[in-house]
Amino acid sequence: MRRWSRFYPFALIIALLALVPVGVLFALAGDAAELFDAHNLNVLISTLLLMVLTVIGATLIGVPLALFTAYVQLPAKRLWLIVLAAPLAMPSYIGAFTLYAAFGPGGEIESLLGIPTPPVNGLAGATLVMTLYTYPFVLLTTRASLLSLDAGMVNAARTLGMSLSMSLWRVVLPRVVTGIAAGGLLAAMYTLSDFGTPAIMRVDTFTRVIYTEYNAFGLSQAAMLSLQLLAIVGLVLFLESRVKGTQERPGRRLAFWPSRWQASAMLAIVAPVTLLAIVLPLLIFTLWLLRDGAGGFELSYAWNSIYASLLAAVVAVILAVPVAHAAISGRLGRIMERVTYLGFGVPGIVMGTALVYVGLQLPWLYQTLALLVVAYVLRFLPLAVGSVRATAEGLDGSLMQAARVLGASPREAFMRITLPLTLRGMVAGGALVFLESMRELPATLLLGPNDFETLATYLWRVYEAGYFGRAAIPGLLLVLMSGLGLALMLCGERRGVFDASEDQRH
Amino acid sequence: MQRRRFIQALATAGAFASLPLASLQSLAAEAVSQAVSVNDLPALEGKLTLYLGRGEGGLYENVLQAIRDRNPKLNLSVRRGPTAALANTLIAEAKAGVQGADVFWAVDSGAIGLVTDAGLAQPLPKDLTGQLKSDFQYPSWSPVTGRIRTLPYNPDNVSLKQIPSDIMELPDSDLAIGWAPAYASFQSFITAMRLLEGEKATVDWLRRMKQRAKSYAGELGVVMAVERGEVDLGLANHYYTLRLKSGKPDARVELAFTKADAGCLVNASGVLALSEGELPINFIRYLLTREVQSYLASEAYEIPLVKGVELPEGLPSFEHISPPDMDLTRLADLRPTLALLRNVGIL
Amino acid sequence: MLTVSHLSVNYGTTRVISNLNLALAESEILMLVGPTGCGKSTILQALAGLLPISEGEVKLGAWHATPTRIVPPEKRNVGMVFQDFALFPHLTVEQNVAFRLTSKAPADHWITLLGLESLRRAKPDTLSGGQKQRVALARTLAHRPAFILLDEPLSNLDAALKDSLRWEIRDALKTAGVPAIWVTHDQEEALSIGDRVGVLNNGQLEQLDSPETCFCEPASRFVAEFLGEASFLPGQLEHGRVATALGVAPGTPVDGATGEVDLLVRPDDVSLMRATNDANGSVNWVRYEGGSRLYAVELDDGTPVKVRVSHENRIEPGERVRLAVITTHPLAVFARHQRPA
Repeated sequence: MRRWSRFYPFALIIALLALVPVGVLFALAGDAAELFDAHNLNVLISTLLLMVLTVIGATLIGVPLALFTAYVQLPAKRLWLIVLAAPLAMPSYIGAFTLYAAFGPGGEIESLLGIPTPPVNGLAGATLVMTLYTYPFVLLTTRASLLSLDAGMVNAARTLGMSLSMSLWRVVLPRVVTGIAAGGLLAAMYTLSDFGTPAIMRVDTFTRVIYTEYNAFGLSQAAMLSLQLLAIVGLVLFLESRVKGTQERPGRRLAFWPSRWQASAMLAIVAPVTLLAIVLPLLIFTLWLLRDGAGGFELSYAWNSIYASLLAAVVAVILAVPVAHAAISGRLGRIMERVTYLGFGVPGIVMGTALVYVGLQLPWLYQTLALLVVAYVLRFLPLAVGSVRATAEGLDGSLMQAARVLGASPREAFMRITLPLTLRGMVAGGALVFLESMRELPATLLLGPNDFETLATYLWRVYEAGYFGRAAIPGLLLVLMSGLGLALMLCGERRGVFDASEDQRH
Repeated sequence: MQRRRFIQALATAGAFASLPLASLQSLAAEAVSQAVSVNDLPALEGKLTLYLGRGEGGLYENVLQAIRDRNPKLNLSVRRGPTAALANTLIAEAKAGVQGADVFWAVDSGAIGLVTDAGLAQPLPKDLTGQLKSDFQYPSWSPVTGRIRTLPYNPDNVSLKQIPSDIMELPDSDLAIGWAPAYASFQSFITAMRLLEGEKATVDWLRRMKQRAKSYAGELGVVMAVERGEVDLGLANHYYTLRLKSGKPDARVELAFTKADAGCLVNASGVLALSEGELPINFIRYLLTREVQSYLASEAYEIPLVKGVELPEGLPSFEHISPPDMDLTRLADLRPTLALLRNVGIL
Repeated sequence: MLTVSHLSVNYGTTRVISNLNLALAESEILMLVGPTGCGKSTILQALAGLLPISEGEVKLGAWHATPTRIVPPEKRNVGMVFQDFALFPHLTVEQNVAFRLTSKAPADHWITLLGLESLRRAKPDTLSGGQKQRVALARTLAHRPAFILLDEPLSNLDAALKDSLRWEIRDALKTAGVPAIWVTHDQEEALSIGDRVGVLNNGQLEQLDSPETCFCEPASRFVAEFLGEASFLPGQLEHGRVATALGVAPGTPVDGATGEVDLLVRPDDVSLMRATNDANGSVNWVRYEGGSRLYAVELDDGTPVKVRVSHENRIEPGERVRLAVITTHPLAVFARHQRPA
């Protein structure tokens, strides 16, 4: 490991940029009154409870699905993966609202089909919704980890008499602990910063209190609470960094070919998840669409969404590269990487307001698309960094050495060897940023240029006013666009091309 | 479809309206007059930036589009967002010396109050404010349309007689109530109660209500719950019930009102001018025309606050209720209300 | 000519290499051999400039590296062949070999010479281990380095392949006329391929000589035991001859030993016969080696001796045998080591 990596200066600049909104929050919180009171304690408990339950739920769903998509050979495997990761495309508050409206006495399901259903609300309901819309994080990171493992150990375990499920549990899963933790971290932070779901499900979390304060014009109070929330985020980040996994060389991949019966069984288990997360909300919207009629939607909203999200994805990946490589190089780099994660835990409305203040200092930047892209990048950079870092860590160190020995300067070796080989991680990271930017709302409202309407902002508009039928088209488009983004991300995966594994022929 | 109707409405003269919304005393003194028509207004020209606090899912858009259509030389740039966020943005912009918006159209008067308290609003000419009903005339901002606090109830479970006409007596009835304490209009309502009845009475009321009240995320949820029979009575703005019933005419929910207290508070969306000149003022005039006001009344079920425009269908005549006399900008004083709600454990 | 003087390399706080001295002659292949963990790969990394050195210096004509004066790898004109081949997975064989070359001629030359013509456009993941190593070699040679470092290039391959590839690599190096340092843990490889052999023990070079010298005149017990089967017979050294229980043999003392000494005997320095009443040992085990048999015998005085005989002789474990020293050339003599009871 080099003592001082070439990437450190770049990573430092980016880390400092990530701290700017936090600095603004400190300035805004300056004149806030109390630091902490009893009511805050209840809120803190609810918030932590929701976060922990969501992480558990996301892990319980995400890990088996990761095993499923990584190892089971089924026709149209890519399609499965896209469908299972699709909830990333849906803004969680939309899911929350449709589930709330669909279930329960008087809900749509009961009134249409006559089947009584339990209501979805409270902590349980919020956990259900958050789990459905964050498990893809765990799914994707765990899957990436699984694909880079050597199957040899599982085969060894099985010859020693362990059943398949036992060997998966005891031999495979402990080695992907870092992958699971990385996904769990993203799920936790998403939960911490989400407002819509707790509001609809009537759970009192930090973000709800922040929003209430904000809407009551208590900006300094909202800033102070956001800083407290950031303290929790910092704690979660710290805990995640404690999870240490083993570094190992990639090897043969495990593959299972299920019988038709087994395949159907797996389908039966997997289906409810997708049903609840994607199919149901879309069906409900279509129902309302047919009932109320659409109107006022314009295709330019979709173009705006795509354009801004694409820019954000590209910029995020470019910035992610130095940060990810700095993180691999040493302890200082890792700290800098952690700092950039703060943005993901800040509630969007607060990030937006902080950046308004920042933007106002640079009037030429204010209310331009550029400022909005900066906001997206600051919020979603960690998604790209995690992906690039995971791929870069898996690179064989001797490749760089070989390049150096062949006469390439460190810079040339990086450009010609490291970058092309981590391209897959970069594309995946960019796709994640794209997806998140597509469904982002509060920062978009505050920072984009005037008249800049995206799918997400239009969705909010019609939802807020109660014209739910009109949410169907933008909702469908969101899922479609994001599905395309996901497909792109997964297209970059070709079996075995970039593995530095031995094969068996000599 | 709604757009076409509205543009037709703009083209023809509006109907003669005769139901004023003022208190009983001013009813007599009020002269019945015609509201201004768009035909009487000068054309709008030039660049205008509007910060719009709520979109009404397209209705305000229709208003804006109609204004655009009628004034081809107008370059109207709109920024939409949550009202509080926009108000905060305006304050931040003023601090930095940046002029971002010319006009601010907010969903509630609290936000308006915040901006006027910061001294950012331009004074409005008397002939403009004079168009408004007498209780709704303010020097530096103009209410546009109003919403009245109501008690939607389920007629299958509750009869009108069981509902008290004094809001402070509500906890004494044995009705199951639904409310949305996080909703801005509810908080404005409690602020009004605080200002009218005093803090102690308000805390007492809240404590006793808490035992029989069920919380919902928004007031649309409250009305839906009343309709489903989950609760007997709700506390909500009037238009949610009217809108629900327009989609579902046989919905089991009706409106009840209290008298002359915070329970029938009329809050208003408001508009103010941030930059000098005729253009912002004239734009505001458009919002106060008969055509726009009656459009908003008939399509969005909001209450027109300009003299001489008809109330939306579904609202009973106003001889029986009298909204409290209150300076709406005082509703900006929200933080003590929040503290109150928190202390009682509702928020 | 590559000169290494007083080289020491630390890994963290542990000293991995101490006081290494060697000079690589023109077109010489120098084998570095030793047990795992003795620091062989670390030496190569330091010589290539991939690891910083703590003491000493490395010099090659144009450049001169010390702990304070860092010369990066790309400036050293060094070539390196890795244990795991380190072929760039996203480039074809052609592109790998011609990486950074301005003219394709040397690449083509070596591709043809090493028989890779048909694999030009293949990607590394489709190649077998042997093919990969040839590509790695071609890549290194095409860049015309001043010297080449080979880090256990054959340890990832089958035994059958190792042998032929070993000679291919040696031929290629000699044809190119490039001096090389070749690290291996296989002592047979070290003895057969190298012009000189360096035996490393715990970061220290115990001996650096021709293979024969190392084998027949080992500088220490460690070298003796490492480079082949070694048995030590206790005996008495007098006037250049050692008297042992198995006979007398000429001996050359290594570490200034006199008087009570241990005589180094290799398995083919001793003869073995079935015996009954003049036996001086019993067979412990036998290993059939195809053309020969290796017997582990325990002498009556407790000394273990290994003897290699032609395959026709078949004696079972437990049988009594008679051993005798049969060499006439001088054997190495070491100071007596007390054997543990």
